[in-house]
Amino acid sequence: MNLSRPDRLARLDALAASYALGTMPARARARLAHVARTDTVVAATIRTWEQRLSPFAEAAPPITPPPRVWKRIALRLGLDAVRPSERGPWWSRLGLWRGLAVASFVAVAALGTTLWMQQQRADEPIVVVLAGQDARPALLATLDRNSRVMTVKTVGGAPVPADRALELWMLPEGAPPRSLGVLPASGVGRVTLPALPDVAFANVPALAVSLEQSGGSTTGAPQGPVLYTGRVERFY
Amino acid sequence: MAVTSPQDRNARVGALLARVALGDQAAFAEFYEVTSSHLYGVALRILRDGPAAEEILQEAYVNVWHHAASYEAAKSQPMTWLTSIVRNRCLDQLRRREIDTISLTPDDDDAAAYDPPSDAMTPGEMLLAGAAARSVRDCVETLDAGPRQAIALAFYQGLSHAELATHLRQPLGTVKSWVRRGLERLKSCLDRAGFGRDA
Repeated sequence: MNLSRPDRLARLDALAASYALGTMPARARARLAHVARTDTVVAATIRTWEQRLSPFAEAAPPITPPPRVWKRIALRLGLDAVRPSERGPWWSRLGLWRGLAVASFVAVAALGTTLWMQQQRADEPIVVVLAGQDARPALLATLDRNSRVMTVKTVGGAPVPADRALELWMLPEGAPPRSLGVLPASGVGRVTLPALPDVAFANVPALAVSLEQSGGSTTGAPQGPVLYTGRVERFY
Repeated sequence: MAVTSPQDRNARVGALLARVALGDQAAFAEFYEVTSSHLYGVALRILRDGPAAEEILQEAYVNVWHHAASYEAAKSQPMTWLTSIVRNRCLDQLRRREIDTISLTPDDDDAAAYDPPSDAMTPGEMLLAGAAARSVRDCVETLDAGPRQAIALAFYQGLSHAELATHLRQPLGTVKSWVRRGLERLKSCLDRAGFGRDA
């Protein structure tokens, strides 16, 4: 059947509508999709219906997929093979966050709040925006006040080489950094705090992320360069 | 809460796609960040099966990485293009699944496995919410309650005519004509309002 002939156009339009809406049964779907591959009129009629229905698709509430989806995609495509720009010699381990200009902090905090709003995670009112020296957010850590599990999401920063790992540290006032564990190279990771945030962060104004060998630092202190730091912000 | 408008998102996604077509990995990661929760929502509502929805998403993104250059901006909006890829894959799978299981009697295991996303909105409300533009909303509101609900359930949750008939407790012929006439009415109304023409 030549669906593109003028006398068939009304029929084609009904078929395309049923295809785009989704009610068309399996075999008819397969047939129409097959025809559309070579028949531009059929393809365009389907596209027009998809476009017509697109305002409705926009309205469906988004649902965040599990982090493993991105990990599998990155793994299949070999995306971790990029080398980040080389960093200089490593910076001081302690108090690095204090060195950043106040203006940067304000900018980062504002960006962080925006990012956090975009997450629509009003149930996670503790936010740490981890940024490099350029004050651009690289990681976003969010946490519920009543949970020990912190979500850390990659929002920027340099790609992590395959043989390296990002390690997250608490920077307690007047004490050495304390590791919170190794983060995934991209996507979303989760780390568990030693205690609930009000206790765990009582004396911890900031977090830092260092670049380590895969598996993380072996000494209990950062061995590699500190890439990102961020102040612990509480929105409650 | 302020939400990025569809136009803004389309512009951003379009720009990212152009960079993805050049093999830009950072752009691809950002593209995933911007689009994945929308697409996962679409897939999960239709398939009602987390692992299957994840699988479809992975395939779709792997394909986008390899074939981003085949996206033709002149023919469709980027989000429409992407959503259609994912919806069509989900619907293909869902409709095939129905053929595979047609001889089996429905049992309680299936009912237990049915785990629709806990949306705050019903499909009918989503349809209206999608009609953010006044003219689109007017078009949706010209539909009677029955056709409106049938179209919303088919569109968001992938219900077939037979499932619609069961769900809405109407004869099969009635829901088929609801859907057909509802779509015809939407089309003429949307086209009058300037929607649905070639993007």
